[in-house]
Amino acid sequence: MSAGRAPGIELDKALTFRTVHEEQAGPKWQSLFDYHWPAYEPWYLSEGERERPSYLECFNALRHYMPELLDTYRTLCALNGGGDLASRLLSLYRPPPYITGCSQAVLARPSSTVLARNYDYPPELCEGTILYTRWNQRRVIAMSDCLWGVLDGMNDSGLAVSLAFGGRKVVGDGFGAPIILRYILEFCDTVPEAAAVLERVPTHMAYNITVTDASGRYVTAMIAPDRRANIRRVAVATNHQKKIEWYAHALASETLIRERQLSILVDDDATTNERLISAFSAPPLFRHDYQRGLGTVYTSVYYPKEGLVEFRWPGRVLDLSFDKFREEQIIVRYGSRGLYS
Amino acid sequence: MSKITSIADVRRHFRNNQEPIYFISATNFNLLGIGDWVSNFRHINYIDCFEGQQRNVFVPKEKFPRDFEGIEDINNYLLEHKEVIDFLQSRSTGDKAGTAAFLMFDEHTEEICKQLGLKIAFPPATLRQRMDNKIETVRIGNKAGVPSVPNVLAKVGSYQELCEVSKELGSDLVVQTAFGDSGHTTFFIANEEDYYKHAEEIEAEPEVKIMKRINCRGSAIEACATRCGTVVGPLMTELVGFKTLTPYKGGWCGNEMFSGAFTEEVRDKARDYTFQFGEALREEGYRGYFELDFLIDMDTDDVYLGELNPRVTGASSLTNVAAFAHSDIPLFLFHLLEFSDLDFDLDIDDINERWAHPESVDSWSQLVIKHTDESVDLLTQAPKTGVWRMSDDGSINYDHYSYHPHAAENEQEAFFMRISGAGDFRYEGADLGILITRGRLMDDDFNLNERAKAWIEAIRGEYAGQALQDPVVEGVAVSHAIGGGNFKIL
Repeated sequence: MSAGRAPGIELDKALTFRTVHEEQAGPKWQSLFDYHWPAYEPWYLSEGERERPSYLECFNALRHYMPELLDTYRTLCALNGGGDLASRLLSLYRPPPYITGCSQAVLARPSSTVLARNYDYPPELCEGTILYTRWNQRRVIAMSDCLWGVLDGMNDSGLAVSLAFGGRKVVGDGFGAPIILRYILEFCDTVPEAAAVLERVPTHMAYNITVTDASGRYVTAMIAPDRRANIRRVAVATNHQKKIEWYAHALASETLIRERQLSILVDDDATTNERLISAFSAPPLFRHDYQRGLGTVYTSVYYPKEGLVEFRWPGRVLDLSFDKFREEQIIVRYGSRGLYS
Repeated sequence: MSKITSIADVRRHFRNNQEPIYFISATNFNLLGIGDWVSNFRHINYIDCFEGQQRNVFVPKEKFPRDFEGIEDINNYLLEHKEVIDFLQSRSTGDKAGTAAFLMFDEHTEEICKQLGLKIAFPPATLRQRMDNKIETVRIGNKAGVPSVPNVLAKVGSYQELCEVSKELGSDLVVQTAFGDSGHTTFFIANEEDYYKHAEEIEAEPEVKIMKRINCRGSAIEACATRCGTVVGPLMTELVGFKTLTPYKGGWCGNEMFSGAFTEEVRDKARDYTFQFGEALREEGYRGYFELDFLIDMDTDDVYLGELNPRVTGASSLTNVAAFAHSDIPLFLFHLLEFSDLDFDLDIDDINERWAHPESVDSWSQLVIKHTDESVDLLTQAPKTGVWRMSDDGSINYDHYSYHPHAAENEQEAFFMRISGAGDFRYEGADLGILITRGRLMDDDFNLNERAKAWIEAIRGEYAGQALQDPVVEGVAVSHAIGGGNFKIL
């Protein structure tokens, strides 16, 4: 931040991204929990403790909708000390509402498929943990949220997922999308399997979830607590579902402009992987609106067939795969440009 | 086990009990000491009155200030809490978690218990709710030959209507609604002005109980309806509405148990009525522990049915400590027996006869001490649970830790159970603690005696609080502490 600027106009935020490799949840996950819990606790209590469902309700919801996830859930609860509140948060059942931005697109070509996305959000609210796990005999690399939830990620079958806020204010009975994405990556191999989960598991807010797999299939599911999931073979998603409902958010996040840009790109036969990916590092897809919490925090790119993952910031690319995953830390500063340092 | 035919069998059975039995409530006050009789008995409570010293009391560590709406709400909160569920599961065998008893529970509690594998040692909540209805109580009493104070049951829409339906009762009336406790829903009406103070509440009811006002003393008696007959405890006096104990006019604030409180004739009548009422309850499908309030007309010695509490109550702590309970078994054990799968055949008449004997009833009293000022502050100091001893000058000192009222050996000693502790908010109506002691605390005119006043003052003196400076903080504190409305936690 250069001297002389009015405070509050130029931001200087920094976020440390960490790659963490721990196949079975253990001390590393526990230390992530310990590190982030002081921030999550007040968030979870923000509407009052009574507004959050009881542990038994959370457990019952998980058991009903995602029973295969229970063993992992129990393990993580035990690692965090088995407390009531933390266990309720970890279920991600009816958490406090939150919103995000995000753009995402799949480019499916006969030779390769790629899922690319920008995560637009307040950097200080992003955990920055890229987690490599093998909790259910399946290797998963994912950007973590809510300690084990997934913002975007891929498993060793080549199934890749990404979420974007659906741009609607409705809040209802269901799960935070990050845990639904985690569930998909832990227990699905293909797009049809993932679509079945997205159709079946209730969400507490509106989300657009894009899924692709190693055989080049893809769908975008528009999920919401108040209507049936709309799942179609759409390669692009930003922050609205069908019609614009929340104009202020749509305007601030420029959701229509971004959608149009992405649609043009993926519909153009001349678009290569490189062209799509580079589009994510420039406006309108790359957003500098950190002031309002809608700036781009990172870009991620998934190659399902190859099992490759990239996390990108201007001037910096982190290449990861299931065979090559070095633990490291990257500090990113968010000024007027998202600068790697 | 083969059929149970003697009290010795019952004792042995519960001493050897393997299946976990829980009392789940805000505090363990009502069933103090039952763990001495029942192996694997645990209390699951919201408030730790024992600062972690009491092994059979489990209180979850992680708690948040909440606006509870009643004891059912506290119990449901506890049963849905992870630490409680983990505790229950650590003691379960397969999917059987044991048996639970409550002071209050509702249909949601029943659902949770079903999932957790807990059997509830009470008739279903819907039946209890029906029995708890004061109008229904009158009808059951009438059927069983247990009279209520001369009354009329009617829907009332205006003062004129009230006068009309109750003509034969005179003009000095007491009106009660179907549900409500501790004097909150009992209205004294002698004229039109009195009526308008409560008109809204009265007219909202589909039916109210209108009674002739009599000069009476309140009394309480606990009993247990079993398949072999109804076991009847001793008749106790009730302490009601003392300003040094409670801010609520007509609010319950303790009991006294001593054999000479009422004439033998009154005692026998009350016991007979209780037995008859228990048998009538069984016909209604209700079984187990219950309590009846009797109103004893001081002018005529008539004994009238007051109300029914189909549950354990605040008086259970006395019923279960007296000499007769120790010569046989505490009344609550009959309740557990009734809800066990055991086959039993006991001579209930024999037990009732023994328990009716004045020598079976040693003298005990308890005081429920509430904060009576309108002030709100944060407690910085509170007297510990245990035995306290009073010197001749009226000052008291902590003698030793105990969880059992019996540890108070003489009238200079008292067992105190602390409810509000350091860090809690002290507000009007907050339960500070309960004092249980041998001997009487009222005189023959049913006024608090000097010893009672000295104990109340001394216990209050052991509390210290810090004023709340910020009115906003105070507002939040009060709403958290008091919650949606004042309710009894005992």
